[in-house]
Amino acid sequence: MRILLVEDDDLIGSGVEAGLRHASFAVDWTQDGRNAKLALETTDYALVVLDLGLPRMSGLELLGWLRGCGKNVPVLVLTAKGTVADKVGGLDAGADDYLGKPFDLTELIARCRALLRRSQGRSVEALRYRALAVDLAAKTILRDDVRIPLTAREWAVLYQLLTHQGVPQSKSRLEESLYGWHEEVESNTIEVHISNLRKKLGADLIKTVRGIGYVMERA
Amino acid sequence: MMPGSIRGRLALLVLASITLVWAIALGWSYREATREVGEWDDARLVQLAQFIVLLDQNDLSVLSRTRLDARTEYGRRPGHANGNDGDKSPREALFQVRDAQGRVLASSAQLEPLGAFEAPADATTSARTVILGGKPWHTYVLHDGVSGRTVRMLESTNQRSDLTTGVARRIAKPIALALPVLALLVWISIGHSLAPLEALSKAIRTRDASKLEPIKIGPTPVEVRPLVDAINQLLSRLELSINRERAFTADAAHELKTPLAAIKVQAQVALVAKDVAQQQLAMQRVVQGVDRSAHLAEQLLLLARLDEHHKVPAQPVALAALVKDAIATNEPDARRKGMTVALVGEANYKVMAEPVLMDIMLDNLIDNAIKYCDEGGRVEVSIRRDADAVVLTVGDNGPGVDAEDITRLTDRFFRVTGNRANGSGLGLSIVARIAEYFGARLDFDTGIGGRGLAVHVSFPGPAVAAVQIASTAVL
Repeated sequence: MRILLVEDDDLIGSGVEAGLRHASFAVDWTQDGRNAKLALETTDYALVVLDLGLPRMSGLELLGWLRGCGKNVPVLVLTAKGTVADKVGGLDAGADDYLGKPFDLTELIARCRALLRRSQGRSVEALRYRALAVDLAAKTILRDDVRIPLTAREWAVLYQLLTHQGVPQSKSRLEESLYGWHEEVESNTIEVHISNLRKKLGADLIKTVRGIGYVMERA
Repeated sequence: MMPGSIRGRLALLVLASITLVWAIALGWSYREATREVGEWDDARLVQLAQFIVLLDQNDLSVLSRTRLDARTEYGRRPGHANGNDGDKSPREALFQVRDAQGRVLASSAQLEPLGAFEAPADATTSARTVILGGKPWHTYVLHDGVSGRTVRMLESTNQRSDLTTGVARRIAKPIALALPVLALLVWISIGHSLAPLEALSKAIRTRDASKLEPIKIGPTPVEVRPLVDAINQLLSRLELSINRERAFTADAAHELKTPLAAIKVQAQVALVAKDVAQQQLAMQRVVQGVDRSAHLAEQLLLLARLDEHHKVPAQPVALAALVKDAIATNEPDARRKGMTVALVGEANYKVMAEPVLMDIMLDNLIDNAIKYCDEGGRVEVSIRRDADAVVLTVGDNGPGVDAEDITRLTDRFFRVTGNRANGSGLGLSIVARIAEYFGARLDFDTGIGGRGLAVHVSFPGPAVAAVQIASTAVL
């Protein structure tokens, strides 16, 4: 899951970035509105975490542009101005959720997950896929009540495929969901993660679509 | 009567003026009455003389033995209580009749002990006063052309005429009675005239301290209107400054929230971080966040202290020494960014200021320049003498400030968009405040080589003890 974080403050930005990474999200962090616009034009994000007080292009302007060009990526707004009018203004401008500073990092992550869940049309973090019981929040996967350990990367690949059942995901799409801007992408990693997942969860779980990528059929 | 009361003072002044005018009028009337009475007395003396000149020898000798009361009014209306002119003490008329040869035909018996006297020559036209036997007398001389007789009349002049006293009393009586009534009327009218003041003080007294709208007390007289206007102006100024303070407090709280949010986030990252390096990094950032809030709090306090209206006494301050100190203080930050900070030129002027505040100003200016410059940039400080001011300039070759943002630079919490430095947004507000303190002007311009920002602080007035310790001394 790739998230765009737009926050001009160094300390808050680096903290939120670290927190979201720790929660297994791929994070791109930008400190101004125009760079954020550029990133949104070129990359498909699962979620945007947006600070309103931004240099060069304000958060609300960016939000207006985003909704104006029909992108419905979920947006979580962060701001130090915690007034009701402010919240209403942000939500009316197209934000999906709102957090006032100072906020709790765990709450921010929980809200991010909730927004993602909603955008994927789910209402709970737990889902069943054939013989597998998956808890997306706790990042646990059980087969016949036996827990199967996964690495963070394997989990991210599985998450991307599970949340897009029946839609083939290209290798680059999977890589995007795996790595933020500053992370080195290792070659062949997707193939390695897919083969590991097949070994752990069953060879027929993930299908290869020749010339396109990989897919998990609808359950 | 209260000494501080307008009503009391006004009433006192009005009554005192009236009393004074009345007293003058009374004195004048008394004098007039006295003169009138005197003329009347004279007229009677003339009448008596005309009567005596016609008497024969027998009547004269009878008259010289009887007394002639000058108070008796002849031809007075009948039925009057007593036939005199109202004087209580007796006033006698004396006479002496001489024939054409100057022999005394008859003379009042009382005239004898007084001795011979000579009437003034002009006593024939009207009565004159002579001193006889140590007493003043009215005298009148009548020559009768037909009989050749001369009649000399004498009448003792009363020191105090009961008639004039009576006239005076009659004039004074209504005045004395009217005064208390007048005082009461004056007191009431003044009180009534001062009612708008009372209404004003009531409007202010009953006012809620948080209510700062203009006072409205209905139609006010021209004397009270300036007072109401002045109070209303004060109220509106007060409201402005309170609103400014409120906005400032809100902004300050907002600004403090940002470093707090950073601290919280970083602390939570440190809590969940699995590897030690990440944990340490997060903890370092927590410390940074605390430093930043401490700096912000410090700047806020400084600004609040500057806002207190204690005027610091200005003294001649040598700029160059302070600049060198400030550069030395900021040296570590500059080195970290590979920057150079230098004092260019050696002009050492003194300006009227205060060293501690000047130190804060220079520190903020140099710190700002370093913060907003790119790595490897340059900051130059110069001191020069202008036509009518000493100008301190701090310039850099950083990214500079857009024209539209220049005017907002000294606004509290304003930060130029697009910069990544962690300033409080208060630095230039503090600089502007200190400059204002010493009557210095703050201007912004482009910095070194047409790039960056230059801040000029112009201290007005003739150069104070301009000391050139420059290289010119080498000559």
